[in-house]
Order: sequence, then C-alpha cells, then structure tokens
Amino acid sequence: MSSDLVITRRERVLDAMAGAGIDVLVLGRQDNAGYACGMRRLWTAGTRPFGAGCIVVGSTGRVHALSSWDDGIEPPMSFDDLYPLTWNPRIMAGSMAAIDGLAEARLIGVDELTPSFRRAAAHFAPEADVVAADDLMAGVRLHKLPGEIQVIVESCAAAWTGVEAALDAPGHADPAGAAIKALANRGVTVPSSGIRAERRDGGLAVDVGVICDLYEGGVGGLFAGGRRTAPAALAGACRDGASHADLAAAATSGDWLVRGLGMGFERPVIGPQIGFGERLQAGMVLSVADGDRRDVVHITASGPVALSERP
Amino acid sequence: MSGDGDPVSEVAPPAPDPGRMGSERLSRLREQMRAQGVDGVVLMHGPHVTYATGHVPEAVDASHANHRRAVAIVGAADGPVRLHAHDPVSDAAPAGAEVGGPLWPELDEGATAVGAAIAEVLGDVTGCRVAVDAVTGAMARAGVLDRAELVDASRVLVPARVIKTADELACIDQSQRHTERAMAEARTACVPGATRSEVAGAFLAALRDGDSEPDADHRNVIDPIFQPMPTRRDGGPRTSTGHVVFPTGVDNPVFADGDLVWVDAGVAWHGYMSDFGCTWVPGRDPTAAERALFDRWMAVLEVSLAAVRPGATLGDVGRAARAVEPSETPWLPQFYLAHGTGLESAEMPMIGTDLGAAFDDGYELEEGMVLVFEPVIWSDGVGGYRAEEVVAVTGDGWRRLGHGHHYEPFGS
Repeated sequence: MSSDLVITRRERVLDAMAGAGIDVLVLGRQDNAGYACGMRRLWTAGTRPFGAGCIVVGSTGRVHALSSWDDGIEPPMSFDDLYPLTWNPRIMAGSMAAIDGLAEARLIGVDELTPSFRRAAAHFAPEADVVAADDLMAGVRLHKLPGEIQVIVESCAAAWTGVEAALDAPGHADPAGAAIKALANRGVTVPSSGIRAERRDGGLAVDVGVICDLYEGGVGGLFAGGRRTAPAALAGACRDGASHADLAAAATSGDWLVRGLGMGFERPVIGPQIGFGERLQAGMVLSVADGDRRDVVHITASGPVALSERP
Repeated sequence: MSGDGDPVSEVAPPAPDPGRMGSERLSRLREQMRAQGVDGVVLMHGPHVTYATGHVPEAVDASHANHRRAVAIVGAADGPVRLHAHDPVSDAAPAGAEVGGPLWPELDEGATAVGAAIAEVLGDVTGCRVAVDAVTGAMARAGVLDRAELVDASRVLVPARVIKTADELACIDQSQRHTERAMAEARTACVPGATRSEVAGAFLAALRDGDSEPDADHRNVIDPIFQPMPTRRDGGPRTSTGHVVFPTGVDNPVFADGDLVWVDAGVAWHGYMSDFGCTWVPGRDPTAAERALFDRWMAVLEVSLAAVRPGATLGDVGRAARAVEPSETPWLPQFYLAHGTGLESAEMPMIGTDLGAAFDDGYELEEGMVLVFEPVIWSDGVGGYRAEEVVAVTGDGWRRLGHGHHYEPFGS
C-alpha cells in the first residue's frame, strides 16, 4: 500500500476529530485501526473484545498502535509510535500514560464502549469524557479516495481468481476447495465474507469475498456455461441520491443487500428490512447483492461504475 | 511420552452431545450470574453468544461479524434465552433458545430494536446489574441500557468457561485431530520454493475434507502461520521483547533450503478451537544442533506436564519448566508457557504471562481446564524450536487432546 494513501487517510481522521472536538480516538475495531494507521496484522475471524488497538492524538497528530514489533507498519508510523502487547491492565495503563497528549484529553472517542475502558480512562485521562465515535469513523470512510478505489479493483480481480477456479473445477471436485487453492496461489488467504460454491439449477452458484492489502473485494453469481445468468439490475440503480424505495424497486429477488465496501463491511446498509432512511451518495463504494448475483460498484456523478468486472 | 496422562488414544474421541453441552454451559453461566449478582447479560461477542446459546456465527472478517452480530440475552432466572442471528440457526444448536430475527446493533436505525429485545427478555433494567460485551455507538446514542448498572460480561463468562464439560473437551479433541490431518497435507506442500500462502492453501482446502454437515463444519479462524524464522534473535523485525518476533502473520515469504519454519493454526468445530504448533524443516533432515533444540523442548514439556494436576498452581508448572532451562525462560516473553483454549484461543488459564508470579501462584488448576503448552527453545545462531501440545486437566493429572505425534520431522 502506498504511504500517500495512509497519510491521506490519517489526515481525514485528524480533520474529522478536529471538527467534532474529539481530542483522542481510541480504536478497537481492526478496520478502523487499519484505516487510521495502515498497519497489517495477523487476521483472525469474528468479533473481538474491545481493546485499545490504535490511538490517534489530535494535539500531536500522531497515531499509535498496539504491537511489540514494527512488522506490518507503514510510514509515517515508526517503532516509537508502538506500545507493546500485554496481558496486564496495569502495564497497559502505563503505556497509555506514556502517550503524549492522552492525559490532557477532555473528549475521548471510542468505536465501542465497555465498562472496563471507562474505568481505565478515568485513570489515564482523568478529565476526559468518553463518547462513541463509531459514526465519526464511518463518516470518514464513507467516500472513497482514488487510491482506495484502485486497491478495491485489485481485490475484486483477486476474487475472480477464486470464481474462475471454482468454475474450472472438474465435476467430482470440491469447487470451493479449488477456489481456496487458487486464491492462495495468488497470495490471498484472508476471507471477508468467505468463499461459497454450490452446484445447483444446472449451474454453479459462487460467491467469493476476500481481503487483500486491507481492502475487500468480492463478486458472486449463478454461472451457467461459464457466464452469470442474472443481469446487474440492482447495481444499475445505485446512483447518487437513490433511496431505499429505488433500490427495492430495482431488486429482482427478495434477498438483496446493498452495503458499503472498503476495509470490509461498511455503512450504509440497505436491505429489505433496514436502511429506510438512507440515500446513496457519489463517492460511495458498495457491495450490491441481489439473489446469487453480487457486484461491487463505485457511485460516480455520472452513475455506477462496476469495480468487479471480470478481468 | 511419559507423564501422568493416559496413553495416546488411537481411536476417535466420543462424539459430543450438543444439546447436553448447551444446557450444561447455560447452567454454568447462570451459576456465575447469580453468584455475582448479575441480573442479565447482553452478549454480542461471538464466542460468548455460542456459550450462551450454542449458535456459532460464521468465521468471517471482523467487519462482517460486527455488522451482522448475533445477540444473546440471558436472564439470571431459569427460562429461555433469546438469540437474534443473521446466519442460519441450526435446529439442533440453541439450548432451548427463543430465536428472533436479525438485529443491527451497529446501526442507529437498529438500536431501538435491540433495546426492545432486551426489555422483552429482561424487563425494565432500571437499576439492574447487566453484563455486556460492549455497547455500540448506536446503542449509546439511543440510550439503550442507560439506566442499568453495566459490568463487563467477561466477569461471568471467564469463570464459567474456564472449566470445560466433557462435551466441550470432546469438541476440542475432534477439532485438534482434524487440524492435525489437514496439516499433513500442508507439510507435504512446505518445500523450498513454495510460498507461505501456497502451503496455507493446501491446509485450508484439506480442512474441507470430510465436512458434510454444514452446521458442524471445520472453520478456519486464524490466517495460518508458516513463518521461516531467523537463526539469530536480531535477524527479524525490531521488537521491544528482546526475543524473536513471532507471529508476524503479514507477509508471504518463500521457503528456502535451510529454513526452520514455525507453524501455528487454529480451527473451530462447534466453535471450539484447536491450536496446532510445530517446527518444520523444508526439504531436508534436521541437523544435530536442531535436534538438540527439540530434545530440550521435549524435556520442558515433560516436566511441565508432570506438574499438572488439580490443586497445582500455575506457578508450580512454570517453575518446573524454568528448572530444566535455568539460563533462559523457555517461552516467548510476550506470551506464555501455556494458555487455555475453548471457544477462543488464548483463554485462561495462562502460565507465565506478564500478569506476574503472584497471579500464577494464586491460581490453582482444576479438573476440566485445558492447557496448550507452547515452550520455545532458542539458541542464537542455530534458531529455535517451538511446538504446541493440548491437554486437559483430569482428576489426577492430564490427558492429551488430539491425536498427538505431530512433531515430524523431529521425534514423535
């Protein structure tokens, strides 16, 4: 990943903090931390308990991350910006106290609230209120930078590697296993939504969601004769200003979901039972699923642009 | 291997009974809730939801898992628990849970429904002590749980989870055995010139072998680690630990003749985690110096296991391990000699962490606890040997979980 992209994202986060009057951000979510600092970490599945994975300090402009070593970090972050892994809350509190600008904070934003963090914050930043800042990060991430679009296109191309391998798998073979191996041979072993492949209706239903270089790519469809059987009607309706009703009218199945895609699953989230107040905006990148079909589209001023075209 | 444990079992472990496992877990959870005066729990962390309901969320990226959270709500009194899930819920899985539609605790639009579900199960929570994994920003903005006294759910979940039932142990055993089988494929692929991801692909594809039940499939939960190690401590990235860096988990190295490769992987079955660790030598036999590392590693493991029994403290086990390697603590300083496993890897009990000696000396082993031993023997210039061994504490010692014999090309 380019350092320019990491720097631009960091500036966006710092600007949003200044706008919201937040002195310090403490990010526990891997995707938010990755956005703010660019650090690549060992991937593990599923939810994680909240912890201070990344700390952004407005007064110093520095971004700090939880790590005992400098592997996977991107400039401008350096070894001196890291605080080490520990099992001991007192050692962690000492690490927090050593971060410039934290003790004086009046408003600390977090992307998830826990009783234990509130207790800890009362010690290392006694004057601070702790408030939810998940919406601040969601807002910053909503409109994609050109550099982000480029990485998402590459991730979608990687997803196609899995789809093609599943389609090429002989009739007796496990198509999902073939997709997994082909992706791995391309260097991709981290799933986002996962890899599904099922023979049915005279074809192969495949959906591949992966993460490469911190950004998600994905594609899905029911393939017959090597081609997707359904048109991208819903993706075509993903225009600047489109409402829930517009999307519901364009969907061809009852099982549809339009949601933000970037460093994984993002906002907005619009489906049959959710997202009634949302309006799509130019600059968003969306995963658009309608039945078996799934595309990734970038909403531009002139309409949706597919980022998951077959390479 | 000698020790107090049973001999290696060549037969598969008994199949777990998911219904019994679910009801025993729920009893343990409620016992802790009542003991600690907790009136209700609202769980949104996947392993906690599984413990309370039996439902295992899919092993997807955290961003997906966060948005599509399953939610479990449990009152301290007997009665059904509530499960709200996005993923399909197996009929067999929930322990008498009432299953509701999906909730969206991440979204402002979904927060009211979360509050309504909590009220349906727990009633008016004003002044009640409610244990939570977290309160999302949307829930906080909507004032959900504002009038309750909130405590961390780990306060009730950690003590409930630390003692495993027979069915939970059977799940870990099965998960470990399946991981060991898939690792045999990966080891064949781990040759000079291969990349980490190619070896990982062989492992991940092999994990699917024999998976026929969609609700009881083996799910990979850690990007598998196959890390060629430097021969010197200072041969890797800069670190504050004073030891080698492991696991990095972010690059895709090509294996070379002469590498020692540290392997680490975790796979869940019914949510229960295996933990496979060993050291491979691609394309050659180990040298005499490397074999000596393994022999010392095995000595540490054997004396550690000999100290494992109910009533022994974590400190007793750690001291036994240190006694055979007096010149240097035989594990990585940022980790431990051993950790528990269950619905998550690296659960309690943990031996030899930076929680310190007083913690270790105050913590007694009990029957049903699980320990994953992961000593490390390092010799600067030669490199290091690391592997993992998973055992359960029994009434008078320990027994292995998994088939074992996974130390090739070193001893068995």
